Amino acid sequence: MNQTQNKTMNQSQKLMVFVLTMSLYGLATLFTELIPKFQVGIVEFSVEYFLFIPLVLAMLFDPLSAALGAATGELVFSEIMLGQFGGLGEAEKFITVTLGVYLAGRLVRDPRNTRMVGIAAILGTGAQLLMGTIVDICKVQFAVEDFEAVAGLPESVFATEGFAFLNDLLFSGILFCLLPTLYLVPKLYGKIEPLLGMSPRTPETAAPALSAKTLAGCAVAFVCAVAAELLATSGLELIDWEASWAESGTAVAVGMIAAAVLALAVLMVMKKKAEAK
Amino acid sequence: MMQKLSENILDKFSMDFLRSQVLKNAYGNNDTVIAARDPRVLLAWYLFFGLVPWFVQDMTFLLGCFVLVMITTLLARVAGLVLLLFGVGVFSQTGYLLLVTWLFGGDASAIMPLLILTLKVATISLASVTVFSGLDPDRLANGLMWYGCPERLSFSISYAYRILPMLMEEFQNVLLSYRLRGNPPAHDTFAGKVRYLAYQVKIIMYAFYPLMLNTAKRSRTTVEALEIRGYRYAATNKEVRRIKLAGLRLTWDDGIFAALSLLWVAATLLLGTLV
Repeated sequence: MNQTQNKTMNQSQKLMVFVLTMSLYGLATLFTELIPKFQVGIVEFSVEYFLFIPLVLAMLFDPLSAALGAATGELVFSEIMLGQFGGLGEAEKFITVTLGVYLAGRLVRDPRNTRMVGIAAILGTGAQLLMGTIVDICKVQFAVEDFEAVAGLPESVFATEGFAFLNDLLFSGILFCLLPTLYLVPKLYGKIEPLLGMSPRTPETAAPALSAKTLAGCAVAFVCAVAAELLATSGLELIDWEASWAESGTAVAVGMIAAAVLALAVLMVMKKKAEAK
Repeated sequence: MMQKLSENILDKFSMDFLRSQVLKNAYGNNDTVIAARDPRVLLAWYLFFGLVPWFVQDMTFLLGCFVLVMITTLLARVAGLVLLLFGVGVFSQTGYLLLVTWLFGGDASAIMPLLILTLKVATISLASVTVFSGLDPDRLANGLMWYGCPERLSFSISYAYRILPMLMEEFQNVLLSYRLRGNPPAHDTFAGKVRYLAYQVKIIMYAFYPLMLNTAKRSRTTVEALEIRGYRYAATNKEVRRIKLAGLRLTWDDGIFAALSLLWVAATLLLGTLV
């Protein structure tokens, strides 16, 4: 038995963690997509997500595999499977979930230390939510034309986003991330690791503490997320391009129609010929 | 009457309904016009209708795109649940914002930009519904792989569709066994109802403990089965990739589909310049 229980994880064990996190978190996000949100006045109580699943697994296993698995699971199960894929904008969610889970997983060196687990769980959730809020505010500011000109819109965006952040952190964060993590980590510790053929994480085998380099890498990834999101929503240069091109628009459009009709006719004829053979 | 209605709705949203909808969405509509298209063509098509509407402010063009993607969604015969989610999603993204804008003293001037935003969001969502729900998951995964997406992603898509019904069944079984053994609080009074809800949520959380252990075993089996077939080696091997993608064929119908879409877009552009 000792030979299979290596101190560090090998590649196929990382793949196991990836598959495990992906399927579990995917299942959970599928539910949250379907559970109705109920509103009391302006306060929105939503089961935002079951982030505790990847958090627990990131604390027990390899943080990076668990984080990537969680983000992929969310992308595949709740976005692609339900046809809610938002294109480039999904990059933002992918990166923020990965970062939040990864950070929390790296913070915990000994899963038996309950206080550290709690701190890491709430920090990871908070980081993910905060990044999401920043991106959301930027998004609306760039997406709506004449943002400042629309009466009441700027204040309402800041108010709703700020409020949503606090609400999510205090409601979903504590109820659905902190408490389940505190319940599951000690319970699973030492039980789930042998199922994947490895030994439990201890301070000696844990990855080295977070270095400045890792944090810098995370910051760069976050900037990429914001950039992707803004590119998906603003695209200033493309608007310019479109404007100059629309001046001689009628001629171009007529040309395009002619080309399309011609292509269509040729393809139809070719198809007929191919079928006749 | 009210009770009957809520019972009816709850009935609809049972676990089995969910499972059948997901399966129907994945494998149930393989004979539609959209499902027969080459995944590469559809992905390129999606790239256009998923990105371009964000950058265009022209109302005619946006409306034209919206009508086109609506037609393709109807052609793809997407499952009802997905369409419902689409409706709720569009409303919660922009309709909610509109309500709050009114609350903060905005007037009718707030409607126009938000209407354009809604139209954009709806167009993009419907385009993705067409492509990602209309296509068979394996074909979708192959198409993504052809465009150079990581092997992990296309593996995840194929795997997800396969594993989801099993996971749901298992989750349901765990929940049922908790319910059999549990003693839920009485829920006649309001306080009791709150306690009951809290109890239900707690059960769902607890249910993830056995589910995690079971899934851990299952994912180990999966990965070991993959390793035996040389998965990690195959994922990076060019020859394997070529064999895998050999099934993709462009047909004349794909060309006609692309040309028709182009014709439609060009026509709306012309209309936009004339108006």
